[in-house]
Amino acid sequence: MDLLPTDEQQQIIDTLRSILLDAAPVERLRPDRHGQVGNPDAALWPKLGEFGFLGLGIPEEHGGIGLTAIEEALAFREFGRALVSPGILGITLGSHLVAGHNSSLLTAILGGEPIGIASPRGPTTSGTKVSGPFHLLDAADAHHVVVILPEGIGLVERSAFTNVEDRMSMDSNTILQRGTLDLVAPLYWSPAESEMVHARATLLLAAYAVGMAEAALAMAVDYAKVREQFGKPIGSFQAVKHKCADMAIAAEVASCQVAFASIIFAKGERDAVYQAHAAKIVAVDAALKNAAQNIQVHGAFGFTAEADAHIYIKRSHVVDFLAGDLREQRASLIRTTTPPN
Amino acid sequence: MNLDFTPEDELFRAEARDWLNENVPRTQRPPEDQAMREFDLAWQRRQFDGGWAGVSWPVEYGGRGLSLTEQLIWYEEYARAGGPSSELLFVGCNHAAPTIMARGTQAQKDYHLPRILRGEVAWCQGFSEPNNGSDLGGLRCRAEIDGDHLVVNGSKIWTSGAHLADWQELLVRTDPSSPKHKGISWVICDMRSPGIELRPILIMTAPGHHHFNQVFYNDVRIPLSNVVGEVNDGWNVAMSTLGFERGTASMSEQIRYGAILEKLIEIARERFGKQVLEYDEIGARLAQLRAETQAVRAMTYTTASRVARGLLGSEASITRAFVSQLQQRIRRIAVDVLGPDSIELPDVDPWIRPYLRSYSNTIAAGTSEIQRNIIGERVLGLPR
Repeated sequence: MDLLPTDEQQQIIDTLRSILLDAAPVERLRPDRHGQVGNPDAALWPKLGEFGFLGLGIPEEHGGIGLTAIEEALAFREFGRALVSPGILGITLGSHLVAGHNSSLLTAILGGEPIGIASPRGPTTSGTKVSGPFHLLDAADAHHVVVILPEGIGLVERSAFTNVEDRMSMDSNTILQRGTLDLVAPLYWSPAESEMVHARATLLLAAYAVGMAEAALAMAVDYAKVREQFGKPIGSFQAVKHKCADMAIAAEVASCQVAFASIIFAKGERDAVYQAHAAKIVAVDAALKNAAQNIQVHGAFGFTAEADAHIYIKRSHVVDFLAGDLREQRASLIRTTTPPN
Repeated sequence: MNLDFTPEDELFRAEARDWLNENVPRTQRPPEDQAMREFDLAWQRRQFDGGWAGVSWPVEYGGRGLSLTEQLIWYEEYARAGGPSSELLFVGCNHAAPTIMARGTQAQKDYHLPRILRGEVAWCQGFSEPNNGSDLGGLRCRAEIDGDHLVVNGSKIWTSGAHLADWQELLVRTDPSSPKHKGISWVICDMRSPGIELRPILIMTAPGHHHFNQVFYNDVRIPLSNVVGEVNDGWNVAMSTLGFERGTASMSEQIRYGAILEKLIEIARERFGKQVLEYDEIGARLAQLRAETQAVRAMTYTTASRVARGLLGSEASITRAFVSQLQQRIRRIAVDVLGPDSIELPDVDPWIRPYLRSYSNTIAAGTSEIQRNIIGERVLGLPR
């Protein structure tokens, strides 16, 4: 029993972190005066593919690295820390959907071919065919889109969406569109009840949220140490210090639970779904709270475009709505008759 | 990263489970007074006779010398079997004993450790004073050296179970001229010493509930041989025990709350209906608590992993600060789950007294504010 990363896992974390620090510094996301700055990470996918970070959990016989959801979750924590575009989830889920079914598409995805995400914005129907109104994220340049529904996750062609229109996103770094599916049969479909792709989505989003919660905490603490008022660093005042402590608590709670859930998932245990829901609840909660506190700790500067603090709150809201928001996650968790013990 | 237990661990778990299922007391633990003391001591003796007292104590002190993982397994099985909280013995087993092991003389170890382990004695803690709670380092209870004795004068307060205890771990000021954290000594005080007087303090849970006390010391003579560690080094001695309490000692409590929450969810389902609960405000709160209670398990495992790698530092204060608030929120939601009847105070009362009692969770053993200072300064490195 060991919830801490092994040396090999720590190496994955360190390598990915240094790649992202170099290739995806948070400053890249500062919007210009016109707002939307385009997908800032399109060039990142091939680079991550080159280092094998896009196929961590894909079996070796399909051309992946052959590791598990544990390593994928560790990577997503780093993606969250660097606020990597949500499209990374489309790529990861897409690769799992096609692995073993379509080797040429899988090769393209692992090489950095973008895959968009579709998330319901109203009632949808699914079965053999999917219908309903969707938000498309990071899908503008993609040929394929991963559709995340309560009943399962499927891959469709981007061209299957009708009435596609560009929308400005609250999170100005996410390329957002609206689109409709009308009785479209997914190319690949993984039902929530019998396969694990859905729980994987929940788990990886939770891991991403942990990364954001930790980044917001680090930002607030760094600032509280150097910003002075009344002749002292503001971090010496309990009003600020205790906020930072609360952020540290929230991040630690979430990070421990995500680690736990990722191990249960990798073992293929029955309660993987429950653990993933629990992980997303505490992690998104931490991301939202820490992002908000980070703005407050920065004072008026936190409210500016150049402080970067705002990006964490916006991205946290986007992550909340993917694969079921807090309200849905909580409903799923309370629906469980007997929790694991 | 893995959650696999070794075959030895699994064997240990099976043994613990069997023993607990057969031996956990089936009678309700009396809520106070002598009956509670007798209950707690009898249960401790039973664990000792079965070879289960002090699972984590070193073998040389009569424990089983088991790893933290096995200790964790023991606590999990203990909570699963519905083992009672042995609150009155907590100070002896989890404070005084580890302190004496770490800093005591051979004579102190030989005398006290077996008595604590066998369930023969109860201990209380004499730290807080009327004017020094969170600011423990400013304590004023005086002790002057007179030959081979200390003579203690002053007062301690909020002393849980002082009226039921045989011994007390007592912090006294032995050198008033030194800066405040210096000049303190950690001594073993016999609660039957002449000159000790108790004033019961009733607590807010229910009329007449006697839980803690003010203790007055009037020329109380304590042999110098009862000082643990050096005279005037008591602050360091005390910090080693407080660290222990904030670290691993509360593990079983953390696990026990899972069962309490599940009971509440059962009641809520009966009262509101399963369907209603799903998108209801109270259902959402219960789900949040379920997620957080599960996370506590993950945090506890993480703590054990850190200890196994020799990495345990101030992060334990994060777990403690979180758990004390989580427990409070679990107790609080009971009132909303039970509904109007919760303004009644029944004789058999699994919910309301514990709810009222939970207001102490964020005060005792370091207020949440002090915990946050520790997190801010020692974990995050923020300036004092």
